[in-house]
Amino acid sequence: MAKKKKNRNVAIVGVGQTQYSSHREDVNQPEMIHEAVRLALADAGITIDDVDAIVHGNMELFEMIHQPDLWHVLGTGGYGKDSFRITTGGTTGATLACAADNLVASEMYDVVMTVGFEKLQEGHTTGGITNMADPLWSRQLQTGALTGSTGYKMEKEFGEERANRAAMMYRIIMDKHACLNHNSHRSFGLDFDQMDELMENSPRLVGDLRLIHMCSQSDGCCVVIFASEKKAKKMAKPPVWVRDHITVHREETFNIFGFDENYPVPMTHRFAAEQLFARNGIDSPVDYFDVFEMYDPSGWWGADWMREFFLFENDEHLKLIEEKEIMIDGKMPINPSGGVTAANPIGATALVRVAEAALQVRGDAGGHQIPGDVNHALASGFGGTMWTVLMMLERELSW
Amino acid sequence: MSDQFGIKVEEIFDTMEERFRPEGAEGVDASYGYDIQGVGKWKLTVKDGQMKIEEANDLGDCVAVTITDADTFVGVNIGQVDAMKAFNSGKFKVDGDLGALGQTAKMFTKFVSGKKEMTVGDFIQDMFATLEERFQPKNVEGLDVTITYDIQGDGGGCWTATIKDGTCVLKEERIEKPTVRLEVGAADWVDVMLGKVDAMTLLSAGKAAIEGDSSLALKLGEIFSKYIAPGEMAEPEQELVRLKKVISVDHRFATGPVMGKFLQGLKNKKIIANKCPKCGRLQLPPREVCAICRVRVPGVVEVGPKGHITINDIAYYSSPDPLTGETRETPYGSINILLDGCKGNETFWHLLRRDQIFEVEESWNEKKGTRVRPVWAENRIGSIKDILYFEIDK
Repeated sequence: MAKKKKNRNVAIVGVGQTQYSSHREDVNQPEMIHEAVRLALADAGITIDDVDAIVHGNMELFEMIHQPDLWHVLGTGGYGKDSFRITTGGTTGATLACAADNLVASEMYDVVMTVGFEKLQEGHTTGGITNMADPLWSRQLQTGALTGSTGYKMEKEFGEERANRAAMMYRIIMDKHACLNHNSHRSFGLDFDQMDELMENSPRLVGDLRLIHMCSQSDGCCVVIFASEKKAKKMAKPPVWVRDHITVHREETFNIFGFDENYPVPMTHRFAAEQLFARNGIDSPVDYFDVFEMYDPSGWWGADWMREFFLFENDEHLKLIEEKEIMIDGKMPINPSGGVTAANPIGATALVRVAEAALQVRGDAGGHQIPGDVNHALASGFGGTMWTVLMMLERELSW
Repeated sequence: MSDQFGIKVEEIFDTMEERFRPEGAEGVDASYGYDIQGVGKWKLTVKDGQMKIEEANDLGDCVAVTITDADTFVGVNIGQVDAMKAFNSGKFKVDGDLGALGQTAKMFTKFVSGKKEMTVGDFIQDMFATLEERFQPKNVEGLDVTITYDIQGDGGGCWTATIKDGTCVLKEERIEKPTVRLEVGAADWVDVMLGKVDAMTLLSAGKAAIEGDSSLALKLGEIFSKYIAPGEMAEPEQELVRLKKVISVDHRFATGPVMGKFLQGLKNKKIIANKCPKCGRLQLPPREVCAICRVRVPGVVEVGPKGHITINDIAYYSSPDPLTGETRETPYGSINILLDGCKGNETFWHLLRRDQIFEVEESWNEKKGTRVRPVWAENRIGSIKDILYFEIDK
C-alpha cells in the first residue's frame, strides 16, 4: 500500500476520559459524554468555540439508539458544528482518530474533536455482538465475541504449560498496570504467585479462555482533540504528532481458523504492521517504539498478537512476557493503562489506546507514566472478524 | 466577661451541643478540660456518641486540659489565630495527651458566630478542617495520589491531601510534584465548594489552573463528599429513575440467488460451496465474488457432507440466542469442519452433538481431527439449522 504524503501535519492537543466503570447510572449518555468533553477542552486549554467539527462514534447495536449523535449534542457541544458519526465495530475509536487526522490534514478543519463512548449497561453486549453476524446463516451459530482457538493454537505450538503461563502472566501484568491507572474499571491487585491458582480456578468461558483473561463491559467516554500544526503549536501543552495510520480489513466471516502450516492464514495485524512499518522505514518495531497501547480483548489475544504486531517469527513475544519486559518499566512496555481488560467501553476503547499513547508521549499519564522519555508510540484497534487499525504517534516532527 | 473578636468565650461552649457530630465521636470515651484564664473552667465529657459540657472546677480526670487566654481561645475557634503558632509560642498550652485533644476537632462543626457572616477565610478554614472526614474511601479503592490545593489571595494557603491505602491525610504544606495541583483564588474556590460556580467555568476562564493529572481533579466530587457550610442541611440525595425497555422486532431478510442456492441445498440435504475461478479456493457458504481475488464466482460445487473437525470451541459461557433470547445449554461445542472436497482453511462452521464434545480430536498440521457427519432436521426450511448438529462418524 503506497503512502500518500500528508497534506499538513496534525497533532493531538487534548485528551479527556471519564472514569470507566460497570455502571454509570448517575448520569445519562449526553451527561457522561459531557464529562470527557470538558476534560479534553480543559486539557487543550480551548473552549468548544475553538472546535470546528465533531466526529462521534460507538457501536450501533449496543444501546439501540438511532442517530445517538443527535441526542448527544447536549453533551458534545456540537451545536451548529459539522458533525460526523462513525461506527466500525470494535475499531470505532481508532477509526475516529484516523478520520480526525484525515479531516485536519485535508485542511477541511483546523480543530476536530473525536468522541468515543459506550454505555454497555444500557443494552445487551453479547446480544449486540451476536447480531453483527451475517443474518442469513451465521447468526444462528454465533457465540458472542468468545473463542478458545487462540489458546488451542498457542498450546499446540508452545506446549500447554508454557502457553497457559504466558497468557496468564500477560493478564497479571495488565492488572498490575490497571492498578496504577485510576480510570480503570477493573483492577484486582493480582500477583504473580496467584498464577497457578487462576489457571486452575478461574471459570472457563471457551476452551482455555477463562473469565479472568477476558475484557469487561464498561461504561465511559473518551475524547481526543486533533489540531493542525499551526494551531497545535499555539496551544499550552506540547503537541503529540500523528505520523501515520493504517486500516486493514479481511473478509466478513470468521472461517479463518487454519491450523495447517501448509495453508497459513494471513493475519490483518501482521499485514497492517508490515505495510505501516515498511512505508515508514522502521526495521525493528520492538526497538523503535517506546510504548504500545494494544487493543487486547483477552490475555490470550494480547499475548498472541504481540507476535504479529512486532513481526516476530518464533517465541520472541513469549520471552518478552516471561521476562516481564512488557511491564511499565520494561524494554517494551505494553498497555501501561492496563489495556482493554482494565476497561472496555467498546466504542471508546480503541480511542483510549490512542489517547493513552498520546499521554505517554506527552509525559502526562500520571500514575502509569513510563519512566524515561517516550518518543515513539504505537496504538492499535481491533474489531469484527479480524479488522486492524494502527496509529503511530511521535514526540518530534522529525520523520 | 470578655468579648474577643466580638465573640464571648461562653458562646463557644454554649453552642457545642448543637455543633456536636456523633459520627466524629465514635468510640471516644474521655473528658477534656478547658482552662480559659481569667474566664473560667469547662469540662467536656464524651461517651457512647453523647456529650456533656459543664463548668467545673476540678479538671483532674481529663485526658487533656487546654490552658489558654480568652483571646487565643476564641481566635483559634473562629480561625483568626493560627493554632500551631499559638501552641509554639506558648499562648496555647495542653496539659495531658495532645493526640487525644486532636480528636475533639472531629467532634464539632466549626463555630460560627450568629452575629457575623462567614468570611472567605472562615470558609476556607472550615473546608479544609472537614476535608479528611469528607473523604470517601469506598469510591477510590486503590487510589494512591497527592492533591495540592494552592489557594491564593486573602484567606488562602496551601494544603496537600495524601490519599493512600484508603486513607486521606491533609497537611498544610506544599510538596514537590503532587499528582495534581490546583491553583485557584480563595473566593473562587469558596464559590466552587458552595456550588455557586462550576470549576470548569473557572478553568475555561483562566481563573483556575490544574497541573498534573487533570482527570483526577474532575473526580474530587467522588473522592470527597460535598462540603456543607456550617448550619446548613445537606440536600437529600435525588432518586435517579431508570427506564426499562424491551425492543422486539420481526425481521425478514432476502437471501439472494447465491446464498439462496446454499440454503436451498440444505433443504435438500446438500452442502453447497463455490470455487474461485482465479485462485481456486472454495468459499463456504458461497459468495458472489471471491473476497481475496475480487472476481465474480460463477456456479456451485457440492462438498461433504462428511468431514473432519479442525477446531472444537467448547463454550462454557451461555450466550443468548438472539433469535429467541434464550440461553443455550452449556457446555456446547462450536466446531469448524473441513468437509470432504475442501482443503486448508476452507472450513465450515457448525455445532457438535452435545454429549460428544469431549470425545473429539482437533486438527494440527497434517494430523486430521475426528471425522463427523451432519444430522439433518426432519422438517427442513432452507436454514443453517436444517443441520441440527454434526456427530462423530463411527
